[in-house]
Amino acid sequence: MTTAIDIRGVTKIYNPGSNQPVKALDNVSLTINDNEFFTLLGPSGCGKTTLLRLIAGFEQVSGGEIMLFGEEIENLEPSQRPVNTVFQHYALFPHMTVAANVAFGLERLRQPKTEIEATVERVLTLVKMKHLGDRPPSQLSGGQQQRVALARALAPSPKVLLLDEPLSALDLKLRQAMREELKQLQKETGITFVFVTHDQEEALAMSDRIAVMSDGEVQQIGGPTDIYEHPVNRFVADFIGDTNFLDGEIVDFNDDLVTCRIGSSSMFEAENSGGHKVGDQVTLFLRPEKISLSAPDAASGSATRPGKVANLVYLGNQAAYTVDMGDGVTLTAQARPREDGNLPFAIGDPLAVGFSSRALRVLPQ
Amino acid sequence: MIEQTQKASSPRARKKMLPVGHYRGLGGWTVFFFVFLYLPIVVLIFYSFNANRMVMNWGGFGFDWYLKAFQNEDIQKAVWNSLIVATIATIFATAIATIGALVLARGGNFRGKTISLGLITLPLMVPEIVTAVAVLIFFSAIGLKLGLGNVIIAHITFCIPFAFMPIRARLEGMDTSLEQAARDLYASEWETFRYITVPLLMPGIVAGAMLSFVISMDDFIITLMVGGAGSTTLPVYIYSMIRRGLTPEINAVSTLLLLVSIAIVTAYWVVSRKSEADTVH
Repeated sequence: MTTAIDIRGVTKIYNPGSNQPVKALDNVSLTINDNEFFTLLGPSGCGKTTLLRLIAGFEQVSGGEIMLFGEEIENLEPSQRPVNTVFQHYALFPHMTVAANVAFGLERLRQPKTEIEATVERVLTLVKMKHLGDRPPSQLSGGQQQRVALARALAPSPKVLLLDEPLSALDLKLRQAMREELKQLQKETGITFVFVTHDQEEALAMSDRIAVMSDGEVQQIGGPTDIYEHPVNRFVADFIGDTNFLDGEIVDFNDDLVTCRIGSSSMFEAENSGGHKVGDQVTLFLRPEKISLSAPDAASGSATRPGKVANLVYLGNQAAYTVDMGDGVTLTAQARPREDGNLPFAIGDPLAVGFSSRALRVLPQ
Repeated sequence: MIEQTQKASSPRARKKMLPVGHYRGLGGWTVFFFVFLYLPIVVLIFYSFNANRMVMNWGGFGFDWYLKAFQNEDIQKAVWNSLIVATIATIFATAIATIGALVLARGGNFRGKTISLGLITLPLMVPEIVTAVAVLIFFSAIGLKLGLGNVIIAHITFCIPFAFMPIRARLEGMDTSLEQAARDLYASEWETFRYITVPLLMPGIVAGAMLSFVISMDDFIITLMVGGAGSTTLPVYIYSMIRRGLTPEINAVSTLLLLVSIAIVTAYWVVSRKSEADTVH
C-alpha cells in the first residue's frame, strides 16, 4: 500500500515569539494511505484544520516534517503542491463564472485550451453542475456552490484532495445526500481524500479510517468500527456516539471476564481486555443500543437486571430512556416506539434490563 | 455616505424604528434644511442662464455666459490646469493608496502598523490651511520650483487618504480564503494578485480614484498657496474673478464645475453600491 501523506512529529505553534504562544499541534504523527478516505475528526480547536492547512501549505510547521508521496513538501509554496482544497465556505471567485472557476487551476498549469474545456466539462458533469457553467457563483444555492468548489478542486487531478468541513454550511437533508456522493466521488476518482469534520456521524459514514484529535494531539487512528467499538480512552468513547460510563473497581477476573464493583455493591462483568488486576480503578463503557429493555414479566429468564424508567426523551424513530438501576447507577438505553406509535414504557415503569457482558468493555486508562 | 454612518452609529434606531413622521414639525424642519443647503446653489445655477449683464437682474434666459466662458482663454487654461493636476494626482494618489492598503491589510503584523494606519488617515483631520502653509514652507525650504509640478505634488499628498479609505474598506471586506484558493490552484503570487486581488479590489480602487479626482478638482486653499503664476486652477481662477467683480460668467463656470463634481460623485455612489452587491459571503 502506497503512503500518500506521512506526517512525522509535526508541531505547530502560533505566535511563537509572543507572550501568548498557542500550541495548535503537538508532535502529531500519522500516515494516510493512497486512495483512502481519511478523516480528521475532533471538536473545534483540536488542531484538525491546522493540520489540513499545513498539508495545503497555508501555514508553516514549527517542527517535524510532512512527506507527500515520499517527498518533503515543507519548502514548497501552496501553488507547487499537488494537492487541492475544498474550503469551508467554498471560496469561489465571485467575479468569474462557474466554468471559469473550475478552469482557473488548469489555466495556471498552462494546459492547452481544448484540454481545459474538456476537463471542465468532465468535472462539472461529475458533480452534476454542467448546465450551470456560465452562471456566477452568487446565483447558486449553497449545495450548488459546494459542488462547484468540489469540481474546481478536482479539475487539476490533485494527488490529494483536502476538504475543510465542506458540508457544515448545508442543511441536514443535503448534508446526508452529499455524504454518499462524496464517498462515491472518492471511489470513482481514486484520489486520496483528507476530510476534516467535527461531526462524528459524518466521519463514521464516509471514512475508511479516522484520526480522532483533541487538544492538538491524535487520540486514536482506526477504521469507523474500531473507533466506535474499541475506543482507546474516555475522550474518544465520549466524542463518538452516546455511551454509558461506569466507574468502579475490579474485584475478580478470569481469562474472559473481569468483575467490577460499581456504586457500593452492584457487580458488572465486562470483557477482559487483559492486564487488569484486583483492586484496579477502571471505567467500563456500554453503548446504549446494546442494552435491551423489556417489561419484567416478559423477560425470558436470561440475565436481566431490574430497573425503573427515570426519564425519557422522544426522538421520533426511537426514545432515549434514562434507567435507574438502583445503588446510584443510571444507564441510558434506547427503545423503539411500538407499531401503534406509542412508546413501550413510561416514566416510573419497572423494567428488565438486559445486556451481554461482551458488550461491556473496560476503557484503557 | 453620511446616511450610512448615521445608521451604523445609532443602534437604537435599528432596534426600534420610530416612525419619524409622528414628530410634529419635523417635515417643516426637513424642508428648511434642504432649502438652506441647496437654495444658494439653485440661485447660482439659475442666474448662470441670465441674459442680463447684471448678476442679480433677470434679463431673460440665455446661454450667453456659457459661450463667453468657453471663449475666455484664461478660463480654458484654468480648466486645462485643473484637469492635468486632478488626473495626475489621482493616478499617483490611487496607486500609492492601493499599495499602502495592501500592505496594511495583507502584510501581516509588523511594528508600527497601527501608527501607519493613523498617519495615513490623519491628514483628513488636519485643517487644510495648516497643510497648505506647511507644504508652502517645505517647498520653499527645499527650493522646489516646478510650477504646476508643485501643485501636483501637493495634490497627490492630500488625495492619498481619500483614495485610501474606500480601497482599504474593500480589502477588509474581502475574504482572504479567495487568495488562498488561488494559491492552492497553482497561481503564483503575481497571478493571484492579477486575477483575484485586483479584480475584486477594483470597485474600491475606482471609488478611491473618483474621490481623489473630485477632491483635487475642487481644492482651493492649498492650490492658492502653492500655485504660482501660470499654475492657476479653476477654483483659484473663479476666486480671482470674484475679486474683479461679479459677472454671470462666474455663475456659468461654477455651474460647470458643480456639474463635473456631481457626475463623479454619482458615479462613485453607483460603483460603491455595486461593490456592496458583489460581495459574496
